[in-house]
Amino acid sequence: MYGWIWRHLPGNAWVKALISVVLVLAVVYVLFQYVFPWAEPLLPFNDVTVDGQ
Amino acid sequence: MTVRLFVRTLSELCITVGALIVLFVVYVLYWTGVQAGSATAGQLDGLQRAWAQRPVEAAAPAEPAAPAPAPYADGKGFAVMYVPRLGQDWEWPVLEGTRTDTLKKGLGHYAGTARLGETGNFAVAGHRRTYGDPFKDFPRLRPGDAVVLTDGTTWFTYRVDRAPYRTVPTDTAVIDPVPRRSGFDGPGRYLTLTTCDPEWGSSHRLIVWAHLDATQPVTAGRPRALRRPQASDG
Repeated sequence: MYGWIWRHLPGNAWVKALISVVLVLAVVYVLFQYVFPWAEPLLPFNDVTVDGQ
Repeated sequence: MTVRLFVRTLSELCITVGALIVLFVVYVLYWTGVQAGSATAGQLDGLQRAWAQRPVEAAAPAEPAAPAPAPYADGKGFAVMYVPRLGQDWEWPVLEGTRTDTLKKGLGHYAGTARLGETGNFAVAGHRRTYGDPFKDFPRLRPGDAVVLTDGTTWFTYRVDRAPYRTVPTDTAVIDPVPRRSGFDGPGRYLTLTTCDPEWGSSHRLIVWAHLDATQPVTAGRPRALRRPQASDG
């Protein structure tokens, strides 16, 4: 998987490494901005109210 | 060759899932606190600015013909809470409503419960953990502890009546105007705080009840409970 990505990145090793870092940062950003805020309320830490449910 | 590819892909997947879990833990333990910190700071700033612009004359509560105050706007902050027992600099905005998004920005006032300082039960929910951990030390609350709130015109000092009461999430009677099991036996100006229990779970709720002890206009300065935090030890 990662080997396949590495082989398909353009440029020499340094360019590939740079693009990889950018890709990793992009993935972390998407996770923190969109995926985790969606997933976190599914965990029980938000249930602080008394209600009929 | 295909076996090697299979094993390699499987191990890469395991490493990826592990990294995801670590990142998620960082998000829950650390990043939600950072976000809540900036959200509450924004709420507190907004409230202080709005209150600073309000004419002081309009704040005088003694006028008999004063019109009914506007209802709290859903999701908007309207008060600031101080609990000296939870920390001398413990200061959280109170927002209207208890939706998930609202509770990310501060404490949430149960819609439909009494207004601040009025007869009935002013009920507020807050996170025990994550989003700044406002009620992390909730079990340390003791009878006599002060819960001080201000809406910009008046300081309200509530006094806790009994140690935290543990109940189940469906026990909505704890936020009734005269809460069940609270020991209050008639209508009054009450306050209820709710959070989750155990600390990282949701199987139970912790409840603290308090009654209104004193009010004073903001022009009279901060109430004594805030000036001398340890004076409230009971």
